[in-house]
Amino acid sequence: MVALARKTLVYEWRRFLPAILAVGFAGLLQLLQAALVLGIFSSASVYITGSSADLWIGYPGTQSVSLGRPIDPDVEMRLRMDPAVARVEPFYWVDADWRGAHDTGGESVYVTGIDARADGLMFSQALPPALRERLAEPDAVIVDRADVDKLGVTVGDTAVINGHRVRVVGESSGLRALGGVNVVTSLDTARQLDNDPTDLGRPTYLLARLHDPAQADAVAARLRGDKGFGPYDVWTARTFARRSVLYWMLDTGAGAGVVFLAGIVFLVGAVITSQTLMAAVAGSVREYATLNALGVGVGNLRWVVLEQAFWVGAIGLLGATVLGFLLLVAARSQDVPVVLNIPITLLCVVLAMALAAVSGLVAMRSLRRADPASLLR
Amino acid sequence: MSRPAPVTATATVGPALRAEGIAKAFVSGKVRTQVLDGLTLSIEAGELTLISGPSGCGKSTLLAILSGLQKVDAGRVIALGSELGGLDSRALERFRLLHTGFVFQGFNLFPALTGLEQVELPLHYLGLSGRQARERATQSLDEVGMTPRMHLRPSELSGGEKQRVAIARALAKQPELLFADEPTSALDAANGQTIIDILHRIARTHGTTVLCVSHDPRLIRHADRVLSMEDGRILSDRRPAPPAATPEGTAP
Ligand SMILES: Nc1ncnc2c1ncn2[C@@H]1O[C@H](COP(=O)(O)OP(=O)(O)OP(=O)(O)O)[C@@H](O)[C@H]1O
Ligand SMILES: [Mg+2]
Repeated sequence: MVALARKTLVYEWRRFLPAILAVGFAGLLQLLQAALVLGIFSSASVYITGSSADLWIGYPGTQSVSLGRPIDPDVEMRLRMDPAVARVEPFYWVDADWRGAHDTGGESVYVTGIDARADGLMFSQALPPALRERLAEPDAVIVDRADVDKLGVTVGDTAVINGHRVRVVGESSGLRALGGVNVVTSLDTARQLDNDPTDLGRPTYLLARLHDPAQADAVAARLRGDKGFGPYDVWTARTFARRSVLYWMLDTGAGAGVVFLAGIVFLVGAVITSQTLMAAVAGSVREYATLNALGVGVGNLRWVVLEQAFWVGAIGLLGATVLGFLLLVAARSQDVPVVLNIPITLLCVVLAMALAAVSGLVAMRSLRRADPASLLR
Repeated sequence: MSRPAPVTATATVGPALRAEGIAKAFVSGKVRTQVLDGLTLSIEAGELTLISGPSGCGKSTLLAILSGLQKVDAGRVIALGSELGGLDSRALERFRLLHTGFVFQGFNLFPALTGLEQVELPLHYLGLSGRQARERATQSLDEVGMTPRMHLRPSELSGGEKQRVAIARALAKQPELLFADEPTSALDAANGQTIIDILHRIARTHGTTVLCVSHDPRLIRHADRVLSMEDGRILSDRRPAPPAATPEGTAP
C-alpha cells in the first residue's frame, strides 16, 4: 500500500507544522495544568499519602482531612477486635493560633498530633525517625521548611500556640499545608494545646494498619457497619486521599477552572489543527478528485485525511511528551509542586488524540470540493 | 476496420459508449446555459475517437457525462452495456474503478509520491496485492517510456514526463475506456507528439476505447474518428485517412 497520508506529511511537513504544533502545545498545556493543579492540591492529602495507614477512621461525612471532628476513643477497641487489624493509633487535628518569638502577629496553624514513636503510622513517610524522636520532649513542635519565614522562627526558637509555650525542634520538608500552616507535635503535646472543651481529649482520627493491605476495602466495609460506638466512618487511605483532594479542587473552584481551561485549549487547538488540515486537503484537492475519477471511493479519501490527522496527533504528542518531561523535571528542581499520575497522563493523551480526530473529521469536509467533474472544463 | 457509416455498431461488438438524446444545462444565478441538447452518439470499442470544436461548445461536458462524472438532465448514457443513470454514486465509483481511466489537462500528481507510487496508488484500491500492483505499475511506466525516471517526484519531472506518468496511472488499471481532456494542451510540440503516439498505441495494442477531447490538429492524423462539435451538437463525423504506417482502411 502506498502510504499517501504519511508520505504527504513527510514531504509537505511545513504545511502540516502548524497542526502538529497546535496538537503538541494543546497536549502540553493540558498536561502541565493538570500536573500543577494536582501538585498544589495533593498537599491536601499529604497527611494520608505521607503516612502508612491502610484505613482512616473519622467522623461520618468528613470531606477532607482538615475538616475532621473528634470521634469516640472507644472505637479503637472495636478496631482492635477485628482480626484483620494489625495496629491502631490515634491522630489529633487541632486548629490553633500561633504567635512567633519575634512579633509577626497571629498565624492560624493546623496542629497535627502524631504517634511519635519510630514505627508510628502517621507521617511515617514524611518524617524521618530521627526527627520524630525529637517530638518526645514535652512541648516540642516541628514546622515545615517552607513555612519557616511565615512563622518567623528557626529551630531552637520558642513560640506560643493557643497560649502554651512550645519549642521548635526541627524542620520537615514537603509538609506544606493548603490554606494554613502545619505544625507537628506528639499526641500528648497536641492534647495540651487543644483548648476546645468539647474535644475532651478525643482523637480526630484513628489510623489502622492491616495484616493484609489488599483487604482494605473489605475490612472498611465490615467496620463501617457497626453502630455500637458513637458516629464514625471508615475509609481506605486511597479513597480518603482522593476525597480530600477533590474537596479542595471543587471548594476552591480549581476543578471547574481546570475543566474550563482544558475546554478552551481543546477548542483553540482543534480550530488551528482543523484549519491547517483543511488547507492541506484543499492544496491537494485536484489530486484527490483525480483519484475519485479513477474510482477511488470518497470513503477511502476520507480515510486518508483521518490518517493524516492521526499522524499529526501522534507527532504532536511525541513532541509534547519530550518537552513536558523536561519542563516537569525543571519544575521539580525549582520546588514547583507538580504531580502526574498515569490516569491523568492517559487522559491528556486521549484528549490530544481526540482533538486530532475531531480536526480530521472537520477537514474531511474539504473533500467535498474534490469533484472530479470539475477537472473537466 | 473503418466503416463508411458514421454511427452504427458492428455486428459482433456493440458500441463501447452510447449516448441517446442527452441534454445538459448549467444554471448560474439567473443565467441558464443549455450546453448539450438532445445529443445522440455512439463510440466504437477499441478506437481512438477525437472530439474537437471551439472553446465552450461543450466538449468537456460531454466527456464528463460519457464517463459518468456528471449526470444528464435528459436522455441516457450506456457505457459497456450499463446505463450510468441507473447507478448511484457508489456504484458509479465502482464502475469507474473497474472500467475507466482519465487523463486531464493538468497532470494532478501528488507532489509527495514518486512516479511509481502515483501509478501504484489506485491499483491497491482495485484489490491488487502489493506485488501485483508494483508489477503492473512498472509495466505501464515502461509502456510510456518512464522506466528510467519512475523514482522521481513530480517536481523533478518535465511537463511531458508528468503527463506520461498520468497516462501510466490511467493505463495500469487496464481500463476498457480511457478519457482524455486536452492531454497535450499544456505541452510543447515534441512532448505533445509523444503523448499522442502513446494514446494511439494504447487504442491499438490494448483495444482500449480512447475518447479524447482536443483542438490539437496534430492529433487528427492519429485518430480513427474525428467528431467536430459546435454549440453542443455534432457537426461532422469523419474518419481521416490513416497514416501510411497502417496500411488497412480507406478514407470515408
Ligand atoms: N459547472 C458549470 N457551471 C456553469 N456553467 C458551466 C459549468 N461547466 C461548464 N459550463 C458551461 O458550459 C459550457 C461548455 O463548457 P465545456 O467545459 O464543456 O466547454 P469546452 O468545449 O470543453 O471548452 P474548452 O475547449 O474551452 O475547454 C461553457 O459555456 C461553460 O461556461
Ligand atoms: Mg474543455
